[in-house]
Amino acid sequence: MAGFIDQIEPLKAAALAEFAAAADPAALEQARVNYLGSNGKFTALLKGLGALPKEEKPAAGKAVNLVKNELETALALRRGELELKAALPTEPTDFTAPGRRRVMGKLHPLTQVTEDIVRSFRKIGFVVADGPEVEDEYHCFDALNTPADHPARDSQDTFYLGAAPSQAPRLLRTHTSSVQIRVMKSQPPPVRIIVPGRVYRRDNADATHNPTFHQVEGLYVDRGVTVGDLKGTVEFVFRELMGPETRIRFRPHYFSYTEPSFEIDFSSALTRKMGKEWLEIAGCGMVHPQVFENVGYDPEVWTGWAFGFGIERIAMIRYGITDIRLFYENNLRFLRQF
Amino acid sequence: MKVTLNWLKQYVDFDWSPEELAERLTMIGIEVEGVVKTGGEFEGVVVARVITRDKHPNADKLSLCRVDDGKGERQIVCGAQNFKAGDKVPLVLPGATLPARAGQPPVTIKVGKIRGVESQGMLCSPQELGLPDQVDGLLILPEDAPVGVPFAQYLGRAGSDVIYDLEITPNRPDLNSLIGIAREISAITGGELRMPKAELAENQPAVTELAAVRIEDAELCPRYNARVIKGVKIGPSPEWLRTSLEKVGVRSISNVVDVTNYVMLETGQPLHAFDYHLLAKGATGVPTVVVRRAVEGEKFTTLDGQERTLTSQALLIADEQHAIALAGVMGGLNTEINNTTVDVLLESACFKPQNIRATSKKLGLRTDASYRFERGSDVGACDYASRRAAQLILQTAGGSLCAGAVDACPKAIEPKQITLRHEKVNELLGLSLTEAQVEGYLSQLGLKRAGRKPQPVGAESVSEPMVIKVPSFRVDLKREVDLIEEVARLYGVDKIAATPPRGAIGANAYDRVHDELADARRLLSGLGLFEAQGQTLIAESAAKLVAGENLVGLGNPLSSDMNVLRPSLLPGLLDSLRHNLSHKIYDVALFEVGRVFAPGQNSGLNEERRAALALTGQRQPLFWSGADRDAKFDIYDLKGLLDEFLEQFGARGISFQRRAQSTGLFLESATIHLGKFQIGEVGQVLPPLARQYDLRDAVFLAELSLDVLLARRNPAKTAKPLPAFPAIRRDVALILPEATTHDQVVQSIKQARVAFLESVELFDIFRGKNVPAGHKSMAYALTYRNPERTLVDAEVNAAHEKLVQELTRKLQATVRE
Repeated sequence: MAGFIDQIEPLKAAALAEFAAAADPAALEQARVNYLGSNGKFTALLKGLGALPKEEKPAAGKAVNLVKNELETALALRRGELELKAALPTEPTDFTAPGRRRVMGKLHPLTQVTEDIVRSFRKIGFVVADGPEVEDEYHCFDALNTPADHPARDSQDTFYLGAAPSQAPRLLRTHTSSVQIRVMKSQPPPVRIIVPGRVYRRDNADATHNPTFHQVEGLYVDRGVTVGDLKGTVEFVFRELMGPETRIRFRPHYFSYTEPSFEIDFSSALTRKMGKEWLEIAGCGMVHPQVFENVGYDPEVWTGWAFGFGIERIAMIRYGITDIRLFYENNLRFLRQF
Repeated sequence: MKVTLNWLKQYVDFDWSPEELAERLTMIGIEVEGVVKTGGEFEGVVVARVITRDKHPNADKLSLCRVDDGKGERQIVCGAQNFKAGDKVPLVLPGATLPARAGQPPVTIKVGKIRGVESQGMLCSPQELGLPDQVDGLLILPEDAPVGVPFAQYLGRAGSDVIYDLEITPNRPDLNSLIGIAREISAITGGELRMPKAELAENQPAVTELAAVRIEDAELCPRYNARVIKGVKIGPSPEWLRTSLEKVGVRSISNVVDVTNYVMLETGQPLHAFDYHLLAKGATGVPTVVVRRAVEGEKFTTLDGQERTLTSQALLIADEQHAIALAGVMGGLNTEINNTTVDVLLESACFKPQNIRATSKKLGLRTDASYRFERGSDVGACDYASRRAAQLILQTAGGSLCAGAVDACPKAIEPKQITLRHEKVNELLGLSLTEAQVEGYLSQLGLKRAGRKPQPVGAESVSEPMVIKVPSFRVDLKREVDLIEEVARLYGVDKIAATPPRGAIGANAYDRVHDELADARRLLSGLGLFEAQGQTLIAESAAKLVAGENLVGLGNPLSSDMNVLRPSLLPGLLDSLRHNLSHKIYDVALFEVGRVFAPGQNSGLNEERRAALALTGQRQPLFWSGADRDAKFDIYDLKGLLDEFLEQFGARGISFQRRAQSTGLFLESATIHLGKFQIGEVGQVLPPLARQYDLRDAVFLAELSLDVLLARRNPAKTAKPLPAFPAIRRDVALILPEATTHDQVVQSIKQARVAFLESVELFDIFRGKNVPAGHKSMAYALTYRNPERTLVDAEVNAAHEKLVQELTRKLQATVRE
């Protein structure tokens, strides 16, 4: 028996060496056949078990099976290694090379800013309203307490559509405030709306003017609405838009459709980067009682405020854009940045 | 917590139907998780006595009887022959229903005329009542059967009851009891709550001569009450006790144990009964109940036979030698009530909820007692519950109650008081209740106002806050707002009028449209297009390309390249393409969502929302490998974008119709239709026009009317079950005349109505070898699936063959082999 057991170890060492030396799956298979195949050296040893005396069989069988398992494990391990090696590409992948890009489209920066504004207003219960861009003088001016001799009605500022002299003049709305009138005339108070949309001024295009631009109007009418509510809302919205550090300042001003009226300045890291402590950003005020009377609301019962600002202006300040015309050229290098 | 209708009615009167009770409980904050009706056999059947039996005037085989139903006399027509005046018989009253016989609908008895004579009910045979007795005629009852008694009761069968499974919120431990629920009901009805009287005849010796109590940890055990009942006889519980427990899911064990469970269900106070003689006597010669913490590692066998190893966290009830109960959780095996028990020591105690919870969790042992203690038991109820249990033990197991109780209560129980400002109630609830109303609601719940200080005569009456005394069972009431909630519950939460969100009344039809436009933008940008914003004012010459003379002009334009309102978004997109090309950006994919203008009727003006798409240049961003990498956009890129966008946007029933001729803008183009509406167009820009715009590659444009799409889209999504059985795919390549469109093939496939066909996909169009000139080969993958089972090849082959035959016939096609 000693002779039998003595053969096991050297055979095992030889087999393991041959497995390790196999350079590819085919060579490994040949090594397996050499030892574990039906005519293999190790199989031959196994067959020799039968010839051993009965009392030696259990110990010898145990030893030889142990080694057989060991060899099979080693074989499987080596096979795994070789298969993995074979699966690798012949040339290494350059992970620094650019991949096949999928293009992600972008929303226009004006859309993004508009959506941010809409979102912050909606948080506090406002809904979005809309109206026509081609308006009449009543909704754009008269009902908003803008007298006929007001310079805003001068044709230098307003685009009028071509029409026969007999027709009531039609114009491109100069502000979204015309929607105030349409909404108030169509529903009883309270009102809580914002109106984003395109407006038009008859200005030649330059770095700060485009005949077409965007405004957002906010209107809130309820019992007991105060200037304090106006300031609170303006502060909330601008902190949402421009960051929590934003400060707001109201300055007395004049708009025909609000009384009292204010201009709103804001101050933040952005304005300081632009070298200014305060930057004018919006106009606002308490809805003029005459406007309420024009739409049939009782100014003794209802108070309200309105404010409006230019979306381009917010976007220019936020992104550091210095020329308004970039918004309308749709240059992909520009659009990609937002 | 389970309660039954009949059990509840012991404590409170109400005349609600079982369903109404469930509704009332739910609306006051006790959710009813289940309602089960039980019993109810022989509903409307009573024991009756035949007073007279005469012949029916109009029928020989019928009798006309006068019958005493216990409340009065009735006239009954009867067809049976086996009875005489004076017999006791079952009577079905009008409105009651006989048990259904197999295969037949149940019969409801009504007052009606039989052969012209009114019959006010029906006398029954056993068969008619579903009883096993076989009698030819009426069921004649023994002479001693009491007239007027419900038949079920006479038979000794349970009457009907309704079992409610209630979800008790964890803040309301007092509702884990019949009395607690009854108290809520009485608060709703304003009726009286009948607490069972627990007046007892007491005998010597006094309890104090038989037992003592020592509480070693007063924080964990604020109160321990012990009574002793001597000379009980342990045995089965009487019927009423057993069925009461079994209906609510508690197993009957023995009279004394059942009483402790019954009183726990009734009052919410868990009780435990010890075999008095199994308690070790202390130095004083009487057993001392010791309430102490377990020694670390102390072993104790609970009465479920489990030996448990305790930590010093656990609170034990012990005698001077060993533990006898795991406080608040389960009694001990060593002192359990057994068949030989004669004298009983009854425990009624209060334990700290957190400690009981910790023990119960640590041991994984949850009992009805631990459930109640860990939520907070009523420290004020210990003695009452003990007396009530003693009363029922005497009633069901006999014996004699020893006088008094050992009632250890280390700290005096301070009644809680909460100040309630009446105006605060209205402020929070949005109501205008008077102070008297508030006081009334609270008082219905047993929350009484503390006495007011007497006012000096003539002093101005000052509205002072109410001080409300909180009974000990309401462990949940801690501060003013808790009382306000009680007022809200009793007032009826459903009666509080809804006020619209204040200030947030911004209703405007456009609000939804704004989101839908945002949806369109999101989809288009997700498809890889960049959003553009074009000028509203454009040059008349460009506008004419798409709209001819149908334009809206300005009266005071600034210049001739901005003198009309855009009739379409396409000229603006062409401008944007030109801008990009002139800045050496050759591969551009843009979209715009915006408004266009057209003259309307009666010199009016139409504004319309549209979406437009533009593609030019390379399909893919620059890449450094692959044969296709330099491929340019073609018309099918734009078609694919439209297909995906329209599907995602919820437009169903889209079709494309090729224009036969070029237009002023397009070389080749198609109109896009949604049902019968034309919603847009798609095509390739005329190359000479593209060159005018300095565009070097083919340019593809599409425009859709969003207003029509918004009105017609259906963005609702419904989940379809995922297929449970495999599909089988069959391909077919058809050689078709050039003029045949994909749409025509799909329509023909649809019209063939082939079984199991799930989807049709075009995967190849080929012209050339083996395809005759003027023809093309179109290859389709057809997927067959049966959602109910696995298809076999033979049936798919049959279906597919039929389809192919249909197609070749209808489309003048041949199959390309």
